[in-house]
Amino acid sequence: MSVASEAVPTIALVGNPNSGKSTLFNALTGHIQRVANYSGVTVEIKSGDTYTPHGRKLHVLDLPGCYSLRAQSPDEKIALDALSGQYPDTPKPDLVVCVVDSSNLERHLQLTLQVIEMGLPCLLALNMVDVAEKNGLRLDPAKLSEELGIPVVPMQANAGKGIIELKQALRHPFPPPSEASWLIHDQKDDIELLRRDFIRRLCELAARRSDSHQRSFSDKLDAIFLHPFHGWLVFGAVMFAIFWSIFSFAAIPMDWIESVQGALGSKLETLMPDGDLRSLLIDGVLGGVGGVLVFLPQIVLLFLFIGLLESSGYMARAAFLMDGLMAKAGLSGKAFLPLFSSYACAIPGVMATRTIDSAKERLVTIFVAPWMSCSARLPVYFLIVPLLLHEKEGTWKQALVLFCIYSLGTVSAFITARILRGRLGPEASVSHFVLELPPYRSPQWSYILRHVIDRAWAFVRKAGTIILGLSIMLWALSTYPKLPGDDKTAALAHSAMGRIGGFIEPLVKPLGFDGRTGTAILTSFAAREVFVSSTAILFRVDETDDDEQTRSLLRDKLAAAEWPDGRPLFTPLSMISLLVFFIYALQCLPTTAVVAREAGSWKWAIGQFAFMTAFAYLAAFMVFQGGKLMGF
Amino acid sequence: MPTATAKYRSAEGAVTLNQIGLNCDVRISGLVGPGCDRLRDLGFCEQMQLRKLSNGRNLVCSLCGARMAISRELAEQVLVAPLQ
Repeated sequence: MSVASEAVPTIALVGNPNSGKSTLFNALTGHIQRVANYSGVTVEIKSGDTYTPHGRKLHVLDLPGCYSLRAQSPDEKIALDALSGQYPDTPKPDLVVCVVDSSNLERHLQLTLQVIEMGLPCLLALNMVDVAEKNGLRLDPAKLSEELGIPVVPMQANAGKGIIELKQALRHPFPPPSEASWLIHDQKDDIELLRRDFIRRLCELAARRSDSHQRSFSDKLDAIFLHPFHGWLVFGAVMFAIFWSIFSFAAIPMDWIESVQGALGSKLETLMPDGDLRSLLIDGVLGGVGGVLVFLPQIVLLFLFIGLLESSGYMARAAFLMDGLMAKAGLSGKAFLPLFSSYACAIPGVMATRTIDSAKERLVTIFVAPWMSCSARLPVYFLIVPLLLHEKEGTWKQALVLFCIYSLGTVSAFITARILRGRLGPEASVSHFVLELPPYRSPQWSYILRHVIDRAWAFVRKAGTIILGLSIMLWALSTYPKLPGDDKTAALAHSAMGRIGGFIEPLVKPLGFDGRTGTAILTSFAAREVFVSSTAILFRVDETDDDEQTRSLLRDKLAAAEWPDGRPLFTPLSMISLLVFFIYALQCLPTTAVVAREAGSWKWAIGQFAFMTAFAYLAAFMVFQGGKLMGF
Repeated sequence: MPTATAKYRSAEGAVTLNQIGLNCDVRISGLVGPGCDRLRDLGFCEQMQLRKLSNGRNLVCSLCGARMAISRELAEQVLVAPLQ
């Protein structure tokens, strides 16, 4: 480490879950770390840099939320280790900024007192003062500062208010560690009792709350959303509306993308002479990458809806509702939040399990999380579902099938969790369901839009790197060695890919697939979306300038594909078998790596990969062979 | 087999959070049981005022302006008394 970097002071943001630490971190550093309106979003240390008004650089750490320094869950332990300077590769903070929700001072100040007791220089960021004022709380920051012996900065981080004042308070030299005045005279008493008494006195002086409980807007909404019957109706309606919207609203931008692709394809055809380079660009690059990019609007809509749910505060209500159902699977409602995150991507979902107190419940949640259909599976579903139903069927029917696909993965995950939980044995210590239900808030549109753009860009980048590379490789494998003549079927059979397909075919034929589909499945183990590109290349779809035709070509080609004896290749049964395979298969190496890290065992990760791949194969086998026996 | 209530009830006449009616405003008079530390961390401390908002498998209560959902087993460890 250089001398210059050693001179940069480190400040750590500490606070209860959902007190606005990540929002403040983003405001200070300009990062776009994930924020949401429920507890336990940040589960690892995030770092960034900020500057004081005098231009001094500061290194900022955003720590996972914790209720106290008595760490119970893995994320709380990370915060504790970071504060005590024991977290690997993280310097001990020179100053701790305790972020508290001003409307909940009685609860949040407990952690602040504990940080002061550690002897760390400290500053209090009195966040969400707008909510406190709205709730009728009379705050006196000067009195708070005087009693606690540390600087206090009132602020509203989500609106950028108080950020300048906070940066000014971060100027050097940092305030010295404050004395824990509540401990000085009563060394022999119960420390917790002393803290509680001090907080009560402090709040009476500096944060007076109206005694009468007022029924808030959140209380009124909760009466419906948490109701044992109406709550489930709302939950079902919200989920179905999301699936329906993804199918219906995405159609317009999808047409735009296809028009551009079609125009590009025809332009290339007119500009370039017939040959391998033109084939590479049109069949390989446009067919492969374009085939995946067309699903971008649906991915964007999925992340937009997830962002809205997270930002509004509804997610915690869904976790509350799901607790009873999750208990039947041997899990608690807290496991719902990581599992729901896995619908977007299994990696943050697996990491979010750090909020679960019980080690065994955490392991089980990690194991089943990849069965929550992630966004990488969507392009495959969007390709097959309209083919299965025929594109003219209403979008609500397609949404219903998608809903069933998600439900199948979820129900299977719950059943597996139940079995696995039973085998892992009872917990050494009992853990209980505890969840803070945040007030409903209007969505933070700027954050949601930035997050959606970020995820969309990640999708485009993946299409432009992994998928592009694999598409070029697949095109080469399906083109060479060449066979003289114009017979495309014979040329593909003669190519390297054709030979690989011939080798794989006996393995996948019992599932209802031919060698080409088997090869496309094999390539999708690099990234699930590659299945669509591979299918487009292997079934040789030509781009045209007619966007409607381009869109239907791949599906038409798949619908027209035949076995050598003339039987249709993609029957409803083989398509269901294909969907079932993709619901269950774990085709994501980054997820396996993260599972190994979070579970602390490569055996667990490899076991999960082997189990899910074998389960996917067997499930698809049973669907296809069982369906055939029943005469489908 | 003793019930959870009997197990954790410390003072004669004390009632647990499970036993009070909906929308009742009460003050926490004590915490008894293995979940005490966790409850205190969450803000369920002696002398705190709370209101029970819903019953069921998990209870929802309003505590210092925050809504907390806790399991019935934990709620059984929270002893409450009516507001003076």
